[in-house]
Amino acid sequence: MYSQEIESLLKSKKIRIGDKVLIIRGKSEYAGILMPRIKLGDVSSLVIKLPNGYNIGIKHEKDMKIRRLEPGRPIRFKPAEAVQRKDPEKPTVSILGCGGTIASRVEYTTGAVYPAFSPADLLLSFPELADIANIKSRKLFDLLSEDMTPEHWKIIAQEVVKEIQSGVDGVVLMHGTDTLHYTAAALSFMLRDLPVPVVLVGAQRSSDRGSSDNLVNLVSATVVAAQSSIAEVVVCMHGSMSDDFCYLHQGTKVRKLHTSRRDAFQSVNVRPYAKIFYPDKKIEYLRNDYKVREKKTVKLDDKLNTNVALVYVYPGIKPEFIQSLRNFDGIVIAGTGLGHVPTNPMNDKFTQSLLPSLRNLIHSNIPVVIAPQTIYGRLDLDVYEAGRMLNEIGVIGDGCDWTPETALVKLMWVIGHTKEMGKVKEMMLTNYAGELGDRTV
Amino acid sequence: MMDKKINYGSLRMKAGLELHQQLDTTRKLFCNCSTGMKERLPTATITRKLHPVASELGMVDIAAQFEYLRDRSFHYQIFNNETCLVELDEEPPHHLNSEALEIALQIALLLNCEVPNEIFVMRKTVIDGSNTSGFQRTVIVGINGHISYKGKRIPITQVTLEEDAAAIVGEENGKATYRLNRLGVPLVEIDTGILEGYSPMELQDIAYQIGILARSTSKTKHGLGSIRQDVNVSIRNGPRTEVKGVQELGLLSKIVEFEVQRQMKEKPKEETRAANLDGTTRFLRPLPGANRMYPETDIPPVIIVKEYIENLKKNLPEPWTNKLERFKAKLRLPDGLAREILGSEYLSLFEKIVSTKKVEPTIVANAFTSVMKDLERREKIEITRISEYRFVEIFDCLQNKEITKEAIPEIIKYLAAYPQNGVGDALKELDLKPLTTADVREITKEIVSQPNIKFEKAYGIVMSKVRGKIDAQEVMKIVKSMMK
Repeated sequence: MYSQEIESLLKSKKIRIGDKVLIIRGKSEYAGILMPRIKLGDVSSLVIKLPNGYNIGIKHEKDMKIRRLEPGRPIRFKPAEAVQRKDPEKPTVSILGCGGTIASRVEYTTGAVYPAFSPADLLLSFPELADIANIKSRKLFDLLSEDMTPEHWKIIAQEVVKEIQSGVDGVVLMHGTDTLHYTAAALSFMLRDLPVPVVLVGAQRSSDRGSSDNLVNLVSATVVAAQSSIAEVVVCMHGSMSDDFCYLHQGTKVRKLHTSRRDAFQSVNVRPYAKIFYPDKKIEYLRNDYKVREKKTVKLDDKLNTNVALVYVYPGIKPEFIQSLRNFDGIVIAGTGLGHVPTNPMNDKFTQSLLPSLRNLIHSNIPVVIAPQTIYGRLDLDVYEAGRMLNEIGVIGDGCDWTPETALVKLMWVIGHTKEMGKVKEMMLTNYAGELGDRTV
Repeated sequence: MMDKKINYGSLRMKAGLELHQQLDTTRKLFCNCSTGMKERLPTATITRKLHPVASELGMVDIAAQFEYLRDRSFHYQIFNNETCLVELDEEPPHHLNSEALEIALQIALLLNCEVPNEIFVMRKTVIDGSNTSGFQRTVIVGINGHISYKGKRIPITQVTLEEDAAAIVGEENGKATYRLNRLGVPLVEIDTGILEGYSPMELQDIAYQIGILARSTSKTKHGLGSIRQDVNVSIRNGPRTEVKGVQELGLLSKIVEFEVQRQMKEKPKEETRAANLDGTTRFLRPLPGANRMYPETDIPPVIIVKEYIENLKKNLPEPWTNKLERFKAKLRLPDGLAREILGSEYLSLFEKIVSTKKVEPTIVANAFTSVMKDLERREKIEITRISEYRFVEIFDCLQNKEITKEAIPEIIKYLAAYPQNGVGDALKELDLKPLTTADVREITKEIVSQPNIKFEKAYGIVMSKVRGKIDAQEVMKIVKSMMK
């Protein structure tokens, strides 16, 4: 929005955003299209797009005159018809949109980005998809992934089940990347007995640019959904900084490990399931311990208790902080090193042990789960005194190789099923979706 | 052959100039990498594809892009200190480099432009692979400017600050290789309006004038490729051709002449052509349509405060167009030499010396231009090894008549070979004490007394004995007079 002064000036002159206008200020004249005011910058400057496409800001001053040269034409993006004829020889893939960078389009006049999810939009932007499969697509919601909640995971799980029941050969979920690995873990627990692959895919570079990773990622994900023999929740993202291949990661063993690089997603403690080469679209399997496609009926198990906290341990952390967590139904502690928290066995005068407060939580039937803040590696609570003391008070996680995020999602799912402490521990230590590996690589 | 009789006026030749000048900032425009472009060997290479992007132009445009990009891959070379994740399109751009912005604004003001109150970085779609992102970031810093040329007003439509593109190494079988160290170096583009009624030579001179105005900031890069010009040409209101990448200013008039002749012979098309080294051009690609330009949403707009611009205006450097006139009028440099010293890296040293020492400016200018070029080219001397104050020492000696101007090349040679030694050492070791005419007469007497000796030979022998110690003209006079 422009400043009130400008807004009322425009109103009085009946000038609207998108009109071609002439601004006269002193001896200077500027003709161009009046642009909407973005939030950043100076709201008392008028933004116009010059005929050569550049935007400039012109400060509103008293002696300034503005008049309309031509009314604006509503600019609407009209994609050419790109309708795919169904090919019975080809598998069918359902692409569901959950938002994010991967499938948005820029409107070149205003620079506004809007989602593009219809099959026509997708096939226009990614014509290669039609070579791989018959494409069904629809939008579930359009959300920045940092705004996603466990409620959204449930909606996604339910819609994926519907798609699978309709008989598709695979499902692709287009998702924002920030929390994509949380959703992948959640779906891994909630979708039981998958007969076909469910592939999460995102993009690290916006789709308006010719260099976006969305094409390679989406094409590879669709290849996996259509052809792979894997019937699990998986994540398909760039494998390197080049546009040469994608990695296919196990849904519970993957994490975003870089803020911006294309290969931000990495398998943690395991090798990826496969490599998908681009532009050859060939799959090279790197492991064979995955669940395979077979005729099965998918089951939805979406009971979650989301009243769970994830706490990062740091030097000087206060026991009061831990005590303040007593209103949660479960706690994940991202511990240091092999899974530690301050326990002060040397009775140092500065150190405050977290043991008493953690013990209190466990005694009030709040499960405490440990995960490594190092991300990579396996927990071991037998090596040092701190670990042994944590084991003694009954924390869960010794020997586990889960990421903090997977541990968090699993705890939500487990305490959605039981409140009984013994059962919680037993379920947490049961491998449901490959989240617990017995060999670290 | 060049047709001297072409009447450009009756052909209604129209031309537009676009000048690109790299700025000599420490850091790149949108990241903190060095702009040095000194690294020779890449540390790694990555491979990318570009794919068509949807636009309001619809399917046809996409299809064309798709066809163009289908079998092409781009290989990007990475260099130590000169590339980071920003050039690799693996990290969002940092804020606009304020040093570069200030220089660009100074250039805009030197070209009498108006500066917008708020500037917006835009993305200009580029799919030839020269930008890893698929677009070039560019921002208008000045519009509606002008310069005067022979009393006429040359319109400057706009001045933009943009990121330079990656330089192509080569292309084979659809594999194009680029060096990423040039990508992101700040570049100022200056566009003129349509120029009508000027000869090719005048167009070249206008380009020169604009170029030196930009360089008045002393914050521009030197050397081949640091300034590049494009020229748009049309005749008889016909289609416009764009010739890109003229790196030698001296070629511009020739290129315009050839292009006009080509357009007279062939039926011109709207297209982009590339400049060849001999001044002819070759087809590059069809002219891009309406620029697909949209805001760079990763960079906030920059508000240009009025007081800041007023302050810049007050402290603008002397325009080099004025400096050129001053060099000619006050320092009595011939036009060619004045232009040469303006283009020299030693300009500021030259100005310092002529303003503080009583020496003939032409001698100083020559020393920094033709003498040095000659030594570098013919004798492979590394002038850069000599520090500035050694040059000041040389002209001190000249001022105090301890040496003649003829000794300068010998001293430079010596200093480049022994950078730790001073001018005093050079004088001692090279025996460069100036000779009097009496000394030379003494030497000449012996030589001309040889039977049947010709003037050329005698002069040569004398010169070999007195080189660097007295003016050659003087020697010639003496030998001539003594042979009579």
